[in-house]
Amino acid sequence: MKTPSATRTTFDYRAPEDLDGLADALGTARGAVSVLGGGTMLVPDISHGTAQPDTVVDLARTGLSGLRRADGEVVVGAMTTYRDLLTTAPAPVPLLRRLAAGVTGGPQIRNRGTVGGSAAFANPSSDVPAALLALRARMRLLSPDGVREVPASDFYTGPFATVRRDDEALIEITLPDPGAASFGYVKFKLSVGSWPIVTATAVAESGGGLRVAVGGAGRVPVAVMLTEPADPADPEWLAHIRERVESELDSVGTWTDELAEGTYRRRIAGTIAARSVAALRGDDERR
Amino acid sequence: MQPIRLTVNGDKHEVTVDPRDLLVYVIRERIGLTGTNVGCLTGDCGACTVTLDGRTAKSCSVLAVTADGSEIRTIEGLASPAGLDPVQEAFWKENGFQCGYCLPGMLLATRELLDEDPDPAEEDITRTIDGNLCRCTGYTTILRAVRTAARRAQHRDERPERP
Ligand SMILES: Cc1cc2nc3c(=O)[nH]c(=O)nc-3n(C[C@@H](O)[C@@H](O)[C@H](O)COP(=O)(O)OP(=O)(O)OC[C@H]3O[C@@H](n4cnc5c(N)ncnc54)[C@H](O)[C@@H]3O)c2cc1C
Ligand code: FES
Ligand code: FES
Repeated sequence: MKTPSATRTTFDYRAPEDLDGLADALGTARGAVSVLGGGTMLVPDISHGTAQPDTVVDLARTGLSGLRRADGEVVVGAMTTYRDLLTTAPAPVPLLRRLAAGVTGGPQIRNRGTVGGSAAFANPSSDVPAALLALRARMRLLSPDGVREVPASDFYTGPFATVRRDDEALIEITLPDPGAASFGYVKFKLSVGSWPIVTATAVAESGGGLRVAVGGAGRVPVAVMLTEPADPADPEWLAHIRERVESELDSVGTWTDELAEGTYRRRIAGTIAARSVAALRGDDERR
Repeated sequence: MQPIRLTVNGDKHEVTVDPRDLLVYVIRERIGLTGTNVGCLTGDCGACTVTLDGRTAKSCSVLAVTADGSEIRTIEGLASPAGLDPVQEAFWKENGFQCGYCLPGMLLATRELLDEDPDPAEEDITRTIDGNLCRCTGYTTILRAVRTAARRAQHRDERPERP
């Protein structure tokens, strides 16, 4: 059998070795640019013609991987893999570790798939984007003009769409150090290997705020802040959280794909959100 | 076209590739090692699994240019001159394959798991092969083979050392 190559038309390839080189590559790249992270989505998309870049800017050699603490923040390099999240000990953001453990596709995907790739791709069904909202993350974007930061809550503009310009790469994601915050993460899927239908992340900050973000249900991830004492066993509280989540979803529009209708996702979103709050207290271990 | 250097199963290769060439293409068509299979080209099936700088990767989802300078292990590099790797022996013993198309990926993923954790929990075993699709066995014999390989890895000390 003849093994297929990637595509019929080729592209320019740039593999900068530092941030200056990256800014230069982004500024001088020919035509439509694709930034390459771990490649787990982009390379198959190129093979199948769904992505047709004129230039690929590969981040593999930029040294943008790993988690570090700086000035009360945790900085997650865009090239940090799910494996890095699982093996960095102690985990500066236990929620991300928990999230990475549930990523499917085998160790091959967890070894290469990156946080930056998932965040930038803005697939409504991915785990990372909504979790970043719950963690109050900021996205650090590099272009030939310099660096700018965008809160995760303003980053997503639609399915597979963000405010990132073509001449920008996501280089880092910064989060307020979660310290002793507790979290719950729940995803609802139809089978073990399927994309999640709805994900919910609850983060209870030590200061008292409770933030719940929902992914998969809306065209973009949504988050709600809850100030009332949370009691997942109380039907009134349950009705309240459902209402809050549904009203957020109505303002961004629901997400429909071949796995599930938006109406269905909207209907279960509040329940999954409530389960993530229950998981905060350890009374719901369901994924 | 640009030259890249790959070390594959210990042998150094210099090949001139087009940026669009997939790593699996270079391994099979340029280096001539056809043990690495191609199934889906979407990253789902795992038939194209190789070890890239010590970590398993799906070689249909890696550009060959990205792998420039890397150490690669393919299925051809798993056995030693002394014989099959214990993981291969376990799959053989437990009939962990039928057509064998998924087998290279299953073996390399299992090898990586046992290198990290010689005594994996059942959940870790399923999470390890969940990126490798098998259309023949129904997975039962594969899971048994991984458990057998793990058991053997733990008792390695009691057996004569492999050279
Ligand atoms: C079999 C399989 C199972 C999977 N299971 C899951 C799962 O359970 N949960 C989940 O969430 N995801 C899952 N995924 C999707 C997974 O590939 C992504 O979540 C992954 O993290 C993407 O990262 P990457 O580095 O490989 O991205 P790439 O493929 O490199 O890029 C993806 C997109 O983002 C862009 N991009 C990448 N990095 C940057 C950057 N730094 N700046 C700007 N743009 C960038 C690329 O141009 C491209 O458009 C799965 C994928 C496969 C193949
Ligand atoms: S061919 Fe690479 S995962 Fe199927
Ligand atoms: S043995 Fe045929 S695909 Fe697994």
